[in-house]
Amino acid sequence: MKNPNRFDRKRLRIDHFIKWFFGSNALLAIIVLALITLFLFREGAEFFPQNLQNLRNYRLAGLEYVGLMRDQIEAHTALNRSLQDLRLRQSNALLKAGKTPEQVTAALARFDAFAAAFDSSVDELRGVISELTDAVTEIKDKAKLREDALQQRKFLLTEGKRAEADAVPVAKIDFAAQLAPIKAAFPLYQKTSLVFRGKIETLLLQPPSLPVREFQPRFEQFQKAARAYLTTFPATERKLAEWNQFAPVPWHRAITSFLFGTEWITNSFWQDWYGVLPLLTGSVMVAVIALVLAVPMGVCAAIYVSELASPVEKQLIKPYIEFISAIPSVVIGFFGVAILGEKLRELTQWQALSWISGFPISERLNAFTAGCLLALMAVPTIFSLAEDAINSVPRAFKEASYALGATRLQTVFRVLVPASLSGIVSAVLLGFGRVIGETMVVLLCAGNRIAIPDFTQGVSSLFQPVHTMTGIVAQELGEVPNGTIHYRALFMVGLLLFFLALCINWLAQAVVRRYKISIG
Amino acid sequence: MDETLKTAPPEAVAPASIEIDHLDFFYGDHQALFDINLAMPAHKVTALIGPSGCGKSTLLRCLNRMNDLVPVARIGHGQVRIHGTDIYGPNVDPIELRKRVGMVFQKSNPFPKSIYENVIYGLRIQGRTKRSDLDEVVERSLRQAALWDEVKDRLHESGLGLSGGQQQRLCIARAIAVEPEIILMDEPCSALDPIATSKVEELIFELKKLYTIVIVTHNMQQAGRCSDLTAFFYLGKLIEMDRTEKLFTNPAEKQTEDYITGRFG
Repeated sequence: MKNPNRFDRKRLRIDHFIKWFFGSNALLAIIVLALITLFLFREGAEFFPQNLQNLRNYRLAGLEYVGLMRDQIEAHTALNRSLQDLRLRQSNALLKAGKTPEQVTAALARFDAFAAAFDSSVDELRGVISELTDAVTEIKDKAKLREDALQQRKFLLTEGKRAEADAVPVAKIDFAAQLAPIKAAFPLYQKTSLVFRGKIETLLLQPPSLPVREFQPRFEQFQKAARAYLTTFPATERKLAEWNQFAPVPWHRAITSFLFGTEWITNSFWQDWYGVLPLLTGSVMVAVIALVLAVPMGVCAAIYVSELASPVEKQLIKPYIEFISAIPSVVIGFFGVAILGEKLRELTQWQALSWISGFPISERLNAFTAGCLLALMAVPTIFSLAEDAINSVPRAFKEASYALGATRLQTVFRVLVPASLSGIVSAVLLGFGRVIGETMVVLLCAGNRIAIPDFTQGVSSLFQPVHTMTGIVAQELGEVPNGTIHYRALFMVGLLLFFLALCINWLAQAVVRRYKISIG
Repeated sequence: MDETLKTAPPEAVAPASIEIDHLDFFYGDHQALFDINLAMPAHKVTALIGPSGCGKSTLLRCLNRMNDLVPVARIGHGQVRIHGTDIYGPNVDPIELRKRVGMVFQKSNPFPKSIYENVIYGLRIQGRTKRSDLDEVVERSLRQAALWDEVKDRLHESGLGLSGGQQQRLCIARAIAVEPEIILMDEPCSALDPIATSKVEELIFELKKLYTIVIVTHNMQQAGRCSDLTAFFYLGKLIEMDRTEKLFTNPAEKQTEDYITGRFG
């Protein structure tokens, strides 16, 4: 076909090229995002079957059985610890009262004898249980070897090497037979535990009186806890007797033990647990602390700059706040480790604050330190978006308000802030997204202790070290062998983060959509 | 020019509500108003007309000191007196002034709040919270603005849901809720259709019994229909001011005649 106009044809080609260029860029972004999602899902999804197997082995190998006994030892250890804590408090109080160390030891002699007897009462029981522990971990190791062999075989089969796969030895384990001697030790356990309980009961019958009267309630609390501890034994024995090695583990436990599990324990000689709750709590806690600090700062700064500041101030403040977002997060983290953590601890040692329970704090790096630094990082995000929102309120609203005799502050709080509230809320949400995804600062400054903070302690629970979802992925992913359950678990954590960020962004957009309609 | 002004219009036997005395006004280095002398009587409608950029809106905004909000705006010379008080004097609080001199804007600008909250905004910022008072003011203001019958069943719906003409009347109700003495209107009908315009014009006619009204308009017929006095501005200068029917039928100045007959502007 003949085109009469050469010029037109050329232009057509350029148009086509431009369209293709921009289109392909957009497409590339979408493809990359899709690939990331797909990859996360592929690596993470395998986690659940592996976790289920993990939980099944826990029962089959008898770890669950012996675990019930071990829990009792741990409860005893906790009681023992509170006794030691009481000893420390008493001796401190006595020393403060002007006693010499010798006098203190003498005054606490009866208490010390009680504590020592309480401590050693568990020794025989511990001996029995530790032998059982060794036995079940042996079974567990065997099961692990078998699983590795199966894994290897599967891998070889997918590679098409049938002969080699058949050559891989897969030991057969008769779990019932393996566990028989352990179950046979039940009478021994019963006997020792009875003796142990008897010892504690006699101890509790004649508690020593304390030299410092003010600690008496604490001591009575301990005695009450110890008595309650003793009453748990019959129930545990019943559970042990009823325990069935081959009871099925329902499939949904693989999911619930991840989402609601309170323990994240890896590379343990005993049992590995992949419960995300301590990490999620840590992440959310740090983010909430950060937001509580950053939202007032960011929003107030935005109001100030857009409505109240003189042009000179505006020119100074705005670039300065925006500059904060240019500081690399590792530098901020370094500042936290080197300076802020120490300064915060010094602050809590201040006498005027000593009425707050748990002050002075013991850990330099904790959720609050990380929260402060993250607040610093969230302020520019919140500030910029909130300022945009306030500036986008039509000038006519402002004029109408002034014309009715409103002052500047009345105009800000009665017209501008309400009219831009959805914008401000979405700014806060995006700030939250920024904070929860931040890695370096929390890894350096949050203290990295994998445990749910003890919220019963009030204010000082904010000053406990935590670990976060982002931190754990960054910390552990480099060390885990590819394809293991630990590796998959980290991907699941990443996936959870991904969903969290997605939800936050979606929420922010939903809020902004509503806002656009209301301005009309 | 001064001569025409000295001969005060016959209607102005009533005490002048607003007196403008040798007023010069600047935006930065640019002079927007030149030596304006003008008296606007109480309970009359004074229309300011003239081509775009002639300074009539600037003059209007001088009357309630809205120009204070423009950083570079300043008074060069002269006085604006309302009931004899120099409103640019050192003891005058612009916030108090604006409570007494209300304003209605070119584009209707109700707040994104309910109709009820829109009307009582001026009272809320004065700290008045008694519910029965507020209810009373809402009804009175909306009745005066001829909007009550249309909105009385949906007072708590958003003011932005009203039609353009209703929105503008809501803005008028909002302005009169604080019981000002003077109402300034900056082209209040320029964004309205003819039916809404005629409603607002009727309203202006009613309102002048209670308030002194100053209206800026581009619409010559409108000035003719609803004003008692008309002032014609050109390039920042007051060319002529007179009774409306006199100015439109027998203008003293050639420029005025050219403008009102549509020969320029």
